[in-house]
Amino acid sequence: MITRVVEGWVEEPLKRFVDDARVVLALMLHPSGQVMAQHGFARAMDVMSACALAAAIHASASELGRQLDGKPFSGIHQAGKDRQLFLAEAETAQGSYIFVTVFDAESSLGLVRLYFEELRAGLASAAPALEESSEPILAEHFESELNRNLAALFGRA
Amino acid sequence: MTGPRTPTPFGSLLDTLTRQRGVKAGMVVSESDGIIIDSNMQIGVHGDRVAALAASLYRKARMSATAAGLGTATFFQLEAERGRLCAAGRNDLVVVVVTEAQANVGLIRMELLRAAEGFA
Amino acid sequence: MSLVNYATREITCKIVYYGPGRSGKTTNLHYIYGQVPEDRKGKMVSLATQTDRTLFFDFLPLDLGSISGFTTKFQLYTVPGQVYYQTTRKLVLQGADGVVFVADSQARQLDENIESFQDLHANLADQGVDARAIPLVIQYNKQDLPKDLILGEPELRDAINFRGVPDFSADALHGPGVFETLRGISELVLKRLSTPGAK
Repeated sequence: MITRVVEGWVEEPLKRFVDDARVVLALMLHPSGQVMAQHGFARAMDVMSACALAAAIHASASELGRQLDGKPFSGIHQAGKDRQLFLAEAETAQGSYIFVTVFDAESSLGLVRLYFEELRAGLASAAPALEESSEPILAEHFESELNRNLAALFGRA
Repeated sequence: MTGPRTPTPFGSLLDTLTRQRGVKAGMVVSESDGIIIDSNMQIGVHGDRVAALAASLYRKARMSATAAGLGTATFFQLEAERGRLCAAGRNDLVVVVVTEAQANVGLIRMELLRAAEGFA
Repeated sequence: MSLVNYATREITCKIVYYGPGRSGKTTNLHYIYGQVPEDRKGKMVSLATQTDRTLFFDFLPLDLGSISGFTTKFQLYTVPGQVYYQTTRKLVLQGADGVVFVADSQARQLDENIESFQDLHANLADQGVDARAIPLVIQYNKQDLPKDLILGEPELRDAINFRGVPDFSADALHGPGVFETLRGISELVLKRLSTPGAK
């Protein structure tokens, strides 16, 4: 199974977590719903949907925690018939990230929580300090490419 | 996880186990979740960590025994340099005991099996 | 903040369709979903009530293809429009790279439009986002309705678009204006990535 990451520093701690905790799927995302790393998904588009839903669960659960308890809940566990889901937040120098994992009978909630603490520590020590790039990413005149792509997308090419 | 735990029906069972000489920790753990239901342990034992890993080990040992055609596993013991980890279980509950190397395993085994019987 | 992956040369941007209840935010996404080929879109996720009103959000991932050598992906979200979903709107707005404000052109909906536009500004400010700095376009939807029921583009512009952001007339149900709106917000969002120091 392939693990894909957006930023290199995430890869090693995430791979170690997946190996140790023996989980089926793992996702790390920005609270806005953008993927940072994933393990176990076949299609990039599925990852995006999973991230959107995970960010929504996290945001609403945190808000529910704040409204009921004065502070956000620290993690969520949901057990299905064969698979279970664990969702929690990890704080790094790059900001906080949401971590979601799905596991089956090969693992357990106790193991996932145990190795998640190690992942959290691994990410915190691996994350480089936040640096804002001042270099432009796209070419100055990207509009023609954008227009061409959008037209093709809408069948107007 | 810290703080006082809610009283459970396993309090007296754990008291009996941890009264044995050389026993550092006793805990009742959910086999499928690897989470402590009740425990009695000395300072320095990483309860949540031991529970998660021991439950996983016990589960795999139990399944190995079944796969090998040996029937239901009754007692599990892991010997290490500075002590032992023993477990017995029934119906998704596992009693896990962490002992020093010199502890009387025979007595502990008997108590563990008796405790597991109580999970029927 | 747009997410840029230099290793795989991918850019991901979050666009939120905002506006009052029943203004046509979900309809915009449905139209886009219907137009885009299968291999360039993900599943459209809708967390809706039994009566098909948006409960949490609608979500549609789009693959825009390569721009300046970067595979560019857009995540389109809608917020629930009804007043009582304030908390949810705030959550969905979190981390948005651009906003499409979908106004309902019906004359009787003018107050709702203005209220929702003010709500957008308040929610952005709550998240520490300067509403004047975030890419924003306005869509005047339902321009296909009978003329006596709706306000024209100039009147709507006067009432809502006091900042003079790009605006588009649309009929999201049948398509006119949907593509132009998406192109408008895409340009503004990507413009930030082509400007030094403005990621």
